[in-house]
Amino acid sequence: MIKGFCCNYTLSVEPEALRSEGLIPEDVEIERLPCTGRLEVPEILDSFSEGAEAVFVVGCQLDKCHNLSGSRRASKRVGQARKILEELDMDPALVEMFYAGRGETEPVVEAARLMAARVSEQDQPG
Amino acid sequence: MCTMYCPRPVVDAYNERLEITRAPHIDYAQAIPSSYYIDAKACLRVNFETCNLCAQTCTAGAIDFSQKPKNLELEVGAVVLTPGFGRVDSSVLEKFGYGKYPDVLTAFEFERLTCASGPTEGHIVRPSDNRPPRKIAFLQCIGSRDETCGNGYCSSVCCMYAIKEASVAKEHEPDLDVSIFFMDVRTQGKGFDDARKRAQEKYGINVIRARVPRVDQVDGRLALTWTTDDGKHHSGIFDMVVLSVGLESPEDAEALSKIADIKLNNYNFCSTRVDSPLSTSRDGVFVAGAFQGPKDIPESVTQASGVAAIASELLAEARNSQTVSITYPEENKALEEQEPRIGIFVCHCGVNIAGVVDVKAVRDYAASLPGVVLYEDPLYSCSQDALKGIAEKIRDNNLNRVVIAACSPRTHEPLFQETLRSVGLNPALVEMANIRDQCAWVHAQEPEAATEKAKDLVRMAAAKARLLTPLEQPTVDVTPGALVLGGGAAGMSAALSIADQGYSVTIVEKSRHLGGNLRRLQWTTDGQDARKVMEDMISSVESHPGIEVLTGSTVEAISGYVGNFTSTVSQGKKNRLINHGVTVIATGAREYKPRSYAYGESTRIVTQLELEEKLARGKSFLKNARNIVMIQCVGSRGDDMSHCSRLCCTQAVKNALKLKELKPDCRIYILYRDMRTYGFHEDAYREAREKGVIFLRYSTDKKPQVIKQARGIKVRAFDRLLGEEIEIPANLVVLSAGIAPGDNQELSKILKAPLTPEGFFLEAHAKLRPVEIAVDGVYLCGLAHGPKSLEESVAQAKAAAAKATIPLAKGKVAVAPIVSHVDQDACIGCGICESLCPFNAIRLSKVGKRKKAQTITASCKGCGICASHCPTIAISMGGFTDQAIMAQIHAFSGRQCDEG
Repeated sequence: MIKGFCCNYTLSVEPEALRSEGLIPEDVEIERLPCTGRLEVPEILDSFSEGAEAVFVVGCQLDKCHNLSGSRRASKRVGQARKILEELDMDPALVEMFYAGRGETEPVVEAARLMAARVSEQDQPG
Repeated sequence: MCTMYCPRPVVDAYNERLEITRAPHIDYAQAIPSSYYIDAKACLRVNFETCNLCAQTCTAGAIDFSQKPKNLELEVGAVVLTPGFGRVDSSVLEKFGYGKYPDVLTAFEFERLTCASGPTEGHIVRPSDNRPPRKIAFLQCIGSRDETCGNGYCSSVCCMYAIKEASVAKEHEPDLDVSIFFMDVRTQGKGFDDARKRAQEKYGINVIRARVPRVDQVDGRLALTWTTDDGKHHSGIFDMVVLSVGLESPEDAEALSKIADIKLNNYNFCSTRVDSPLSTSRDGVFVAGAFQGPKDIPESVTQASGVAAIASELLAEARNSQTVSITYPEENKALEEQEPRIGIFVCHCGVNIAGVVDVKAVRDYAASLPGVVLYEDPLYSCSQDALKGIAEKIRDNNLNRVVIAACSPRTHEPLFQETLRSVGLNPALVEMANIRDQCAWVHAQEPEAATEKAKDLVRMAAAKARLLTPLEQPTVDVTPGALVLGGGAAGMSAALSIADQGYSVTIVEKSRHLGGNLRRLQWTTDGQDARKVMEDMISSVESHPGIEVLTGSTVEAISGYVGNFTSTVSQGKKNRLINHGVTVIATGAREYKPRSYAYGESTRIVTQLELEEKLARGKSFLKNARNIVMIQCVGSRGDDMSHCSRLCCTQAVKNALKLKELKPDCRIYILYRDMRTYGFHEDAYREAREKGVIFLRYSTDKKPQVIKQARGIKVRAFDRLLGEEIEIPANLVVLSAGIAPGDNQELSKILKAPLTPEGFFLEAHAKLRPVEIAVDGVYLCGLAHGPKSLEESVAQAKAAAAKATIPLAKGKVAVAPIVSHVDQDACIGCGICESLCPFNAIRLSKVGKRKKAQTITASCKGCGICASHCPTIAISMGGFTDQAIMAQIHAFSGRQCDEG
C-alpha cells in the first residue's frame, strides 16, 4: 500500500474516481486534508507502521499556498521524516513532498505513479 | 480544379478550423451560391501579384482578378437587419480548458465532427490522439446565464442542440457514455421535450443538474468535479468535453447600430418591443433572427417571413412596379406531335463527371439509341453559354425531346425546362439522367463501371423521353381576400398585415369581442400595459377599411382550394358565404383548467391569468397575503399534457415581481421543475431572486401538495437544499396552468389540417415552413400552432400574413404540371383516392348518375398516392405515366419497349 496526503486545494477530484478509471494504481490510498500544513511527522511515520510502503505528500506550490505557509511547513516535516527513516536504516526516498497548482489533478496522479514505481523497483530482488 | 492547384493552404473556417483547405474553395457542397470563392487574405495573386494558377486552370474561365470592390448606392423603402449571432469570446472558454487541452471542444466543433461531410467524415475522434472517446461530457451555459462574462441572458438553443449532438453521437457510437451538465433543461420549443425524453430513454444520455466550475486534464483525460443540489460532491473522468457555447451578439453590432441609427439593448442585441418584435427604434428599419435575441431555427425563419410582411406593408403601393416578366414564344405543337427527335447532352460538369465517367464514350453510345438525332458533350451544360447553345441546337435540329445527362433534376431541372420554353417547347419534354451523383460520385473508385452505369441511365432516360407528352401548365385565378379564423393577438396582427398590403380580410371570431387570451393579460413581459396593447390593436382593426370583423361567429364549412375558398360562416341563426383566396388559422388556445392542487376548492387557489385579473381589480385581496406559493408545470409536462407550455415560467416570474412591487413584504415561493426563462427573460428571473423570491426545484416523484384546511391552505414541498420536507402556510396559491389546445378537432377535419398528438395544428415543416400547413393556401399562427409568448405570436402572425399574401399578390396560382389525372371512364367511384389524399386535392363528385373522382389541380402536389392505390388504374400522373416508366424499366434490361 502507498499512502498519499493531499491538500484540499490541489486535488479536487475524488480519489475513488481516479482509481476506478485506472489513473492511479490500485494500492494507492489518498487522504485529503484541509491543509498539508497540519500534517505532523508522527502521522507520516504512523502510515508506515500501518502498512504503507511509501508515503507522499502533495501540497500547494510554495509561493501560492492557500494558507500561505502550509505547504512550506509540510515540506519541512517531510524532510524530518526522511531523516528519521535514514536513522532507522530505511530508504528516505520512500517519503517525498510534491507540489501542485490549485485544482490540478495531474501532479497528484504523477506523484502516486512515481511512488508506486519506486516501491516496485525496490521490491525486485537483486 | 482551382482548389486542387492552389499552392496556398488556409485553415478551413467552415469546418471550425479542424481541417485545411486552399485559398479558392467552397465552404460545403450545398453552399448558396454554389460556387467557389477565393479567400482574398490568403491568395498570393491578390496580395503579391504572383501565382495566378487558379485562373489559368479554371476550365470555365470563371476567375477574373481584375475585379475591384465597388460601392453601390441603392434606393430602398425598408431595411432589414439579419446579421445573426456572434461568437462567445475565447477568454470565456479558456476557463474550461479550451485552447489548453486539445480534447475540450466547442459544440460547433463537435457538430462538424459528427457531420458526415465534416473533417472526420462523421467519426467522433479525440483531436489529441485521433482515437474515439468512450465518455463525453457536455457543459451547458458556457457564455450564457453567466454575469462574469457579461452575458446574463439565456441563449435559448444550447440545451436542445446539446441533446441533439449527444443523440447523434450515441446513434453513431452506441457504447458511448454521454453526460450533459445542465442548470435547467430548457427544451421549451415545440416538440423539444419529447426529443429530450427520447434522448434520455432511448439513448441513455445522463442528465446531471450541476454547473461544472472548471476542467482539468489528467494523463490525457479530463477530470470534472461538480456538486449536485443535495449538497453532494461528485467527480468523474471523461475523454472529451464539449462546451455548449451560447449565442453572443454579433461582433459588429455597435458599428451596425450606428450606421442604421438603431438602439441596442444592454447585451448589444437589437432592442425591440413585445408588441412589435420586428421593428427597431427607427422607422423603416427592421430586424429578424438571432440579432433580435437568441433563438432557434423555427423562430428565426418565422421572423424572417414576418419581416417580409412588414416591409411589404410599407411597400404595398410599389408592389409589381419594378417587376420584369418573361415572355415565351408560343408552343410549337406541331413539332411536339411529330416522331420523337431526341437530343442528348452528356455533361462533363468540369471534372465532376468527366473525372470518373468517360463522357465521350457515353455521348457516342447515346448516338446508337433510337430516335436520337443529336448528341453532344458540353463542358458545363448549366452555364449561361451552354444553355444558349442548347437552345440554338434544339431550334436548328428541330428537336422535340431533350435528355440532359448531368446532375440532379432537383436542382437543375427547372433551368433546362426554362430553356425548352424559350424555344417554344413544352417544359415537360425534358428528361434528366443524374450521372454525376449516381455515377461519378458514388462510384468514384470504379470509372469503368461508372461509365457503364451512365450508359444505362442515358438509355433509360431516352426510353422515357420518347414517351413524354406535353403537359399543360394551368393557372387558377385567386380571389383577392383572406379569411382569418380567430380574433386574438395573432389573428388581429395577421389581418392588419394582410389588409395593409391591400387585400380584404374577414376575421371570424367565436366570442363576442376581439382580443382572445390577450384580454386576460394585464402586463406584458417588458412592462407595458397589456390592455393598452390590446385596445390599440382592436381599434386599428376596427377602423381599417379593409377588415371586416364577424364576432360571435364560427366557420361551419370551408370548401375549395388555394385561391378559391368558399366558407360558410354561421352567425347565430343566419349563415353567410364568404369567398376568399387564402385562410389563416389563428384560433388560439386556452389556459389549462387544473385538476389537481385543490384547484377550485378555495378562492385563494388561482391560476396565473386569474391572478392577473384579480390584480387588475385592485390589490386589496393581497392585504393578508404574507406567503404566496406559485407552482409551475401544472398540467404541462405531465400526464394531462405532455408538452411544455413555454411561457408559464416567464409569466410566473413576471407576476412574482409585480406582487413584490405591490407588496414588498410578502414572501413568494416558486416551486418549479426547470425554470425556462429563456432569452432575455433570464434577467427577470435573476431580478426575482435578487428581490428575495424563493425558488425551490421539485422532481416529479416528489411533487408539492396543496392541502386545504379549515383555516387556510398548507403547501408541502421537498426542499432539496435542506434535504427535507417543508410546510408553507400559504395565503395564496397561484398555479401556472399551462396552455391547452383549443377545440381544434372540428376545424382540423374541415380543413384536412393535421394536428400534433397534443392537439395543436401541425406545420408543414417544423423548421423551414413553420407557418404553412400541408394544405395549400392555409396558414397558421399564434397559440393554435403551439404555446408561445405574445411577442412570438405577433411575429408568427406577420409571417403567416407574408405567406398568405404570396398567392394574393400573384393573382394567379400556377399549378405544377405534375398532377394526377383521372380517366373518368375507368373510375368506379370507390373513393379510396379521396380518403388517402393528404392534400385534400382529389374529391368525388356526381358525373351523370355515378360518382367519379376528380383532381383539384390547384391543390395537387403530384405525390402519386392516389395513382398507386387506384384499383382500376384510372389515375395517371403527369410526367410519370405508367407507359413511360415501364419503358424506362425495360430499357434498363436492355430491351426496347416500343409497343408503349
